[in-house]
Amino acid sequence: MRKALTLAAILVASTANIALAQGKLIAVSWKTFQEERWKHDEAAIKAVVEAAGDKYISTDAQNSAQKQAADIESLIAQKPDVILVVPFDSDAILPSIKAIQNAGIKSIAYDVQFEDPNSLYITYDNVGVGKLMAQTMLAKGKKSGNFAYVKGDKGDPNSAFLAMGFESVLKPEITAGKIKVVCDNNVDGWKPDNAQKVMEQCLTANNNKIDAVISENDGMASGVVAALAAQGLAGQVAVTGQDGDTAALNRVALGTQLVSVWKDSAVLGKRAGEAAVAMANGTPISKLKGVIKFADGKHHVSMPAILLTPDAITTANLEDPIKAGHVTKAEVCAGVAAGKVAACN
Amino acid sequence: MATEQSSKSATAKSEGLIRTFLKATELDVRILGMLGALLLVWCTFDVLSGLIQPNASIFSGLFLTPRNLWTLLVQTSSIAVMATGMVLVIVMRQIDLSVGSMLSMLAVAGAMVQVFMLGPWLGVGHPIIWVAGVATCLVLGTLVGVFNGVLTAYLQIPSFIVTLGGLIAYSGIAFLLASGVTIAPLDQTYDIIGGGVPQSWLGPMWSWVLGLAACALIVFGILSGRKQRRRFSFPLRPVWAEIVLASIGSAAVLLTTYVVNSYPWPFGLIKQYAQDHNVTIPVGDANSDGNAICMAGDQVVRCMDGLVYYTGYAVPVLIALMVGAVMTFVATRTKFGRYIYAIGGNPEAAELAGINTRMVTVKVFALMGFLAGLSAVISSARLDAATNALGQSNELYVIAATVIGGTSLAGGIGTVYGALLGALLMQSIQSGMQLLNLPAAFQNIVVGTVLVMAVFVDQLYRRRVK
Amino acid sequence: MDAPLVELRNISVSFGGVKAVDDVSVNLYPGEVVGLLGHNGAGKSTLIKILSGAYKRDGGKIFINGEEVQISNPRDAKAYGIETIYQALALADNVDAAANLYLGRELKTRWGTLDDVAMEAETRRVMGRLNPNFTRFKEPAKSLSGGQRQSVAIARAILFNARILIMDEPTAALGPQETRMVADLIHELKRQGIGIFLIDHDIHTVMDLCDRASVMKNGKLVGTVNVKDVTDDDILGMIILGKQPEKAA
Repeated sequence: MRKALTLAAILVASTANIALAQGKLIAVSWKTFQEERWKHDEAAIKAVVEAAGDKYISTDAQNSAQKQAADIESLIAQKPDVILVVPFDSDAILPSIKAIQNAGIKSIAYDVQFEDPNSLYITYDNVGVGKLMAQTMLAKGKKSGNFAYVKGDKGDPNSAFLAMGFESVLKPEITAGKIKVVCDNNVDGWKPDNAQKVMEQCLTANNNKIDAVISENDGMASGVVAALAAQGLAGQVAVTGQDGDTAALNRVALGTQLVSVWKDSAVLGKRAGEAAVAMANGTPISKLKGVIKFADGKHHVSMPAILLTPDAITTANLEDPIKAGHVTKAEVCAGVAAGKVAACN
Repeated sequence: MATEQSSKSATAKSEGLIRTFLKATELDVRILGMLGALLLVWCTFDVLSGLIQPNASIFSGLFLTPRNLWTLLVQTSSIAVMATGMVLVIVMRQIDLSVGSMLSMLAVAGAMVQVFMLGPWLGVGHPIIWVAGVATCLVLGTLVGVFNGVLTAYLQIPSFIVTLGGLIAYSGIAFLLASGVTIAPLDQTYDIIGGGVPQSWLGPMWSWVLGLAACALIVFGILSGRKQRRRFSFPLRPVWAEIVLASIGSAAVLLTTYVVNSYPWPFGLIKQYAQDHNVTIPVGDANSDGNAICMAGDQVVRCMDGLVYYTGYAVPVLIALMVGAVMTFVATRTKFGRYIYAIGGNPEAAELAGINTRMVTVKVFALMGFLAGLSAVISSARLDAATNALGQSNELYVIAATVIGGTSLAGGIGTVYGALLGALLMQSIQSGMQLLNLPAAFQNIVVGTVLVMAVFVDQLYRRRVK
Repeated sequence: MDAPLVELRNISVSFGGVKAVDDVSVNLYPGEVVGLLGHNGAGKSTLIKILSGAYKRDGGKIFINGEEVQISNPRDAKAYGIETIYQALALADNVDAAANLYLGRELKTRWGTLDDVAMEAETRRVMGRLNPNFTRFKEPAKSLSGGQRQSVAIARAILFNARILIMDEPTAALGPQETRMVADLIHELKRQGIGIFLIDHDIHTVMDLCDRASVMKNGKLVGTVNVKDVTDDDILGMIILGKQPEKAA
């Protein structure tokens, strides 16, 4: 009962606001706020939308497909111009997307794809993250030798996307016999302590003859580096990661991790906000900046997409996440000897 | 016909000998079975890992090397510590599903105290920091355990539900505490507890001292047991059986000590230590198979005969062994332990005998919480980081280790040393399969199968004994 | 006359609205055996569990040596020297005889640890007196026979110098020889001045062993009679009809 009342109050309040506001209405259906990152996304979208004189509303599906369908119905009732959706379930969401379009509202798949030819998909290029790891490894880390793959949870499709990316880059070197993959393991639940055990056994099996480790994220990289440190190898073996974790950026500064691929959610939010505002003002999707055709999804439906390139953070550009306010200089540079890393001076 | 009979009688005779041996030494057959299974697993992995080497032979195995066995012990410690507590929980007919999430929560809390609260205030490396980090984990762990115990014992909510709720809720708290970020690096002194740094390796001398002390304790225990029984003129075990027991016990201790004392420091760490402490590195010929370091010209190289250090016992392994000893003592030699078993055997009888069963329940859960705190210290120190992912789903491994170690989920039956062996067996399988570079999915299948098989064999044995 | 050893006055208990024991008063003098008789569900065991602290009463008072006492759990009862041998043989099945005998009152060494050897020695002594054939001191209680378990339960009750002993069908699981042994034991305890409440189905056992008998039916006390003054049939009448025989009234 109280829920219904609150909902009614929100409806009344927002309708009133629409009447008052001159601008457009942009809505977001989030799949969850349980993870910290979505707050950053929201702040970025909201900033762009409000700067354009438009209004921002949102719902949180709390990791439930049913709740998300109901959320979208209530959003449609408020007659927004564009709805951005972070689907909890990419397939179950499709009827809701249809309903959005039937109401004459434009839809955007934000960061997580649903396959609908009339919607815009905006995300970081996940296969690209894997590629970027391998490219950075070849350019700034090790070009040859014994490589170990520490992959994420076997049930997570992202782990496979990442592997697809780095394997495509490393393949020519492997065929040429320059790189030998000596360990290749999935880590249950992307857990750092499991990654540590995997790395320990890999080092034992190869008598420490490991030159590079492709770790699919920063959490697992922390376990890998702990295992390397116990063998006195931290800093000698090049290690990759992704997420731009504070601890990982600190390891990059300390030299124990080569690269952390960073997908700045503030940038993603900003680009999505801009696209939404443009679409609300009548710009067709195909006329937006950077739109390409994307058909690499599960069902290979071709849809317009904006794929952002992530940043490979190494010692060379450590100041980027600091400048972006993602981490502080003190956090990144903790324990770093003076004069060693430019970003810490 | 005649041969058949004679072979039959020969079998009967050898069976008789085995029975006499077991009866005289009062050894637990199931533990012997587990040791057998452990040896079988070890040898299998050793042979298999030898066969996949470039120059394949059954003698080039990697599993039964000091390095792998040493790593195996360190990898087992965290689960082993919690398994000793889980034995008592399960013996008392309760369950604690929340230990994994508790570990996450406590590790994150302990790390926050070090890195966010005390680090900036006292300055990195201040001795209070590691003490406070450890204390946070242990005290909070005990309190959470008391909370679980009070809900179970006094509010009469089944422990399965209380700790299932805990499993879900504590992992949420672990996430919220640090909003999901990895906290690293931790205090350097704190890291000693994890076993990943040279300061946490005892070295051969102290390892031998401890090993010999343990042998002395075994002999003392057997002698004082004899003296006690003589005081009341009870039947004594035959002297030969006592000698066999003392020898087996001492041999196991000394062999383990020998193995950990044979694992040399990794090359890079010897080099670093020599540089940091101005140790002169002897001149010698390079040899890539050597464990020592030498100077060849101005290069530091591997060599057979040069500067070398050996690790000995690592701190987390010592902690696990000591926890095992203390918990065995608690379970078998104290009133508290006796009550736990009595409650597990017949809760009503225990209550009618005047035991405060609720208080005992709370204490057991508190002890479990304390041990989860200790494991949180070991795991986070070992990783040199704490995240909310650390320790998740550990409860399954802890319960599996306990059950593989012969603890009955029906309550009343279980031993601490069985749980320690169960933890070692399970980690052996996982580490062995990683050594063979088998996929993670395959490892899960094997560990799951072993768990079910172990319980099945155990029940077969019990039915036969009845 | 002295104050009775135990006096239960106007005791009532109900479970979910059903009065299991309804305003019952009984007493027990030193060196006396009082039998409690009645059908299953008459309330005998419930009444006795109030005295032993296993159940909480809703109404009534308990006096020991003329003084009112509070008994709210088994620990309180033991503190007043009340020991109970339960019908369901309350033993912990997974531990041995000595551990069961000393459960809740373990002997300790000067280091504070369990003194298993001393406990086993004392157990051997007591059991030797009670059941000389008993030798399975190292085995868990669940592998013992009914009679052996019963002797462990009795040994536990008499080991701690009980003043008041409650026996709930002590001979139910026993053979003739063991039953005779229990009878001898009751005579011996009586001589030592211990008061005994004996619950039994068997009228003959009660007639042989008891000084007085209290009969219960449907939670109420039918009456208490001197065993010497009545016949088996009188008591049977009390049990079945719920009526006091005229000559004893």
